[in-house]
Amino acid sequence: MNAPKSAPVSATSCWSCNTPTEAAAFCPACGKIQSLPANADYFTYFGLPRKLWMGMDALEQKFLQLSWKLHPDNFVNTDEREREMSLQRSSRLNDAYRVLRDPVARVEYLLELEGMRKEGEHKQQAPPELLEEVFELNESLDELREAKSAGANLEALTITLRVAEKNFGEKLHEVDSEMKTAAQQWDAALEANGSESDREAILQRLNELLNRRSYIRNLVAGVEKELQGASC
Amino acid sequence: MGHIVGIDLGTTNSLVAYVDAQTGQPKCIPGPYGSTLCPSVVSLDPDGSVIVGEAARRRLLTQPERTIYSVKRLMGRGPADVQSELQLFPFRIDPQSKNVIRVMLGDKMFTPPEISAFILRELRNWAESFLGEPVDRAVITVPAYFNDAQRQATKDAGRIAGLEVLRLVNEPTAAALAYGLHEKQRGHVAVYDLGGGTFDISILKLISTGEGDIYQVLSTNGDTHLGGDDIDNLLQAFVHKRIRETEDLDFSPHGELAQDLRKSLIAAKHELSEKESVTLRFALPNGKTFVHTFSRADFEALINNVVTRTMGPVKQALGDAHLAPSAIEEVVLVGGTTRTPVIRRTVQEFFGRKPHTELNPDEVVALGAAVQANILERGVSNMLLLDVTPLSLGIETYGGAVSKIIPRNSTIPASAQEQYTTGVDNQTGIDIHVLQGERELAKDCRSLARFTLKVPPAPAGLPRIEVAFLIDANGILQVAAKDMRTGEQHSIEVQPSYGINDTEIERMLEESIEYAEQDFAERQLIEARTESEAILSATAKALANPQSTEIPAAERSDIEAAIAALKQSVSGVDYRQIRRRIDELNHATEHLAELLMNSAVATALAGRNLAEV
Repeated sequence: MNAPKSAPVSATSCWSCNTPTEAAAFCPACGKIQSLPANADYFTYFGLPRKLWMGMDALEQKFLQLSWKLHPDNFVNTDEREREMSLQRSSRLNDAYRVLRDPVARVEYLLELEGMRKEGEHKQQAPPELLEEVFELNESLDELREAKSAGANLEALTITLRVAEKNFGEKLHEVDSEMKTAAQQWDAALEANGSESDREAILQRLNELLNRRSYIRNLVAGVEKELQGASC
Repeated sequence: MGHIVGIDLGTTNSLVAYVDAQTGQPKCIPGPYGSTLCPSVVSLDPDGSVIVGEAARRRLLTQPERTIYSVKRLMGRGPADVQSELQLFPFRIDPQSKNVIRVMLGDKMFTPPEISAFILRELRNWAESFLGEPVDRAVITVPAYFNDAQRQATKDAGRIAGLEVLRLVNEPTAAALAYGLHEKQRGHVAVYDLGGGTFDISILKLISTGEGDIYQVLSTNGDTHLGGDDIDNLLQAFVHKRIRETEDLDFSPHGELAQDLRKSLIAAKHELSEKESVTLRFALPNGKTFVHTFSRADFEALINNVVTRTMGPVKQALGDAHLAPSAIEEVVLVGGTTRTPVIRRTVQEFFGRKPHTELNPDEVVALGAAVQANILERGVSNMLLLDVTPLSLGIETYGGAVSKIIPRNSTIPASAQEQYTTGVDNQTGIDIHVLQGERELAKDCRSLARFTLKVPPAPAGLPRIEVAFLIDANGILQVAAKDMRTGEQHSIEVQPSYGINDTEIERMLEESIEYAEQDFAERQLIEARTESEAILSATAKALANPQSTEIPAAERSDIEAAIAALKQSVSGVDYRQIRRRIDELNHATEHLAELLMNSAVATALAGRNLAEV
């Protein structure tokens, strides 16, 4: 494992010929690759506004086009500094594409960028309106585990859990469609240059929905895991 | 600068290939025995010289304690990892081995990268003799499912062999590159690669753009310990049991006899790909002959477990790519083990289409490596390969849990930045443990490295240090740290959990040169001299033939000059010069050879040289 040599701190002029670059990936004069500006976020990287709707085909086209130019394969015969810049830029491009093409990761990233959410934050509390159903589900899961270790008949419990799984699966769909609505509101507010408080309210709503989504997603995954164990 | 070659460093066989500048097509380079396959076997002669390839393979029977095969299974692994291998493979591991395994060959100890380096050096020599120019840079293939330590070990092997490894390419991806050139495929492609010791499945998307073709890997999965070796082990266990039952004869699993039996079983396995049944006859030490007839159905039942074990990763890879089997437009089979009919049938049934087998499954990975080498050599190209990391990268968090920071199947290079601070006043270090794997707990994942971030004394929570984890285009981890308040770059000493450090590699490089260079040059010289004897006597015979008077006098004197030149070079020690002069004499006698052939045998033997007439 090697520590990479540090790329020079981002500058606004070309490291090689000193021509102003305005944060472009390549110097307009000598064509040499430039280091990645420290403050570049994923949206800026793709030349996009911070909107939540984006055309997947256009995003892919842009990704491939940038990959052609930035990939380390193109820099094997250049000096170490350029190789390092290509590595930084192409890795960040891949990171950006990975996040932006996934609608949920995209919302999470926007919330982090807007300071609404800490990186990797997960609320593990059950949303209040789901509490009762979550209790019931956990009870059934406990019973299933007990029955499994006792070698008892699992059929009735399995049916109950499948119903619960379906129920929570539907809830997941509901959250997804609510998220879609909130995302559209965010895009509209951004376009109309809406007030700060409006935007913050939408972001807060998105954050709540995201937490609820990850909570339900974990529940469903847990049930799937137990049911898989029960069927074999 | 010399040629960049592509190398398939395989469990059973290794190959080297290059792209022919004239045709633009990749080609595998043959070795001294004429075959392009170099058995991945290394033997240490009692006189201290190292023997690699076919000659070493023959020594598996005569000097098993000085000879090692399937060393790829040990690359990048610790002593605790390989306990299960030791039941089945005759590896003699130094009991003192700590993080890095040391294997005994005779009375000397070597690390797996050193042994692999002997194989790489042999292939490098093949390439240099064939191309007639030095080779110091290479693209080497690795199983897609290799982890960081296994990749690093492969890169180290390259360095020890004196090769700059420009890129590690995943084997199934290399195969897709070779097939892409061949078939001009488009859309979603699945590459099923079952080799001697490893299994990989990769799902790719082939895209045509204005600038050229992009090979984008969507997902990959596999098992780094599943392959043809496992089939051989099953066969061997079955026969050992039979012999024990019928003859009350129990022989050591790693002795000469067992190696001999294994060889017969491998031959029987190969035959069963063509025939419906095969009878094994094997002479036992008690004077009797063990006879057993395997029908193809018996064989398929016996190895069913291996076939089934490949399907789990196949389904996982498809799921990760969000594709159904029917969405795959082309299926490519790679690796010698895919010659087995039951495997072809299983793959065909699963995907509902006939897989591609046009290219030699043994050569296709090396051909793809040569294609990638050519792309890198030219710098700019009309092909681009976007590969992924097979395993998630994570860091250990409080309580032994793992927080994933780069998910599996992320396009590489990929990175993640993590911010760290201190928990108590004047804390001077933060311990970081980097892991690879899909499990939730650190103890179930592969440890890659541990290091301590040094922090200047300050009140708790004040320091802000950003650690950048980066997986490069080879799938190898790099780590850097930056103090966010001062913008200063921190130096960090990373101790890889299963690696060799730079100083050790330098020492190994020096030692390996001592071992290998001299032996190879000597052997090449002997072979070149033998060959020149053959051609010189054939030429003398041809010139004595009355028919030879028909050639013009100028041509005759050219031939005589070439003979004199060759004779003179044979007295020297430069085998490359001898080879050149052989080629020159062959060229000078082309017309003569043709003449004699036409008159003697009127069959079409055109293109042959005198030595073959």
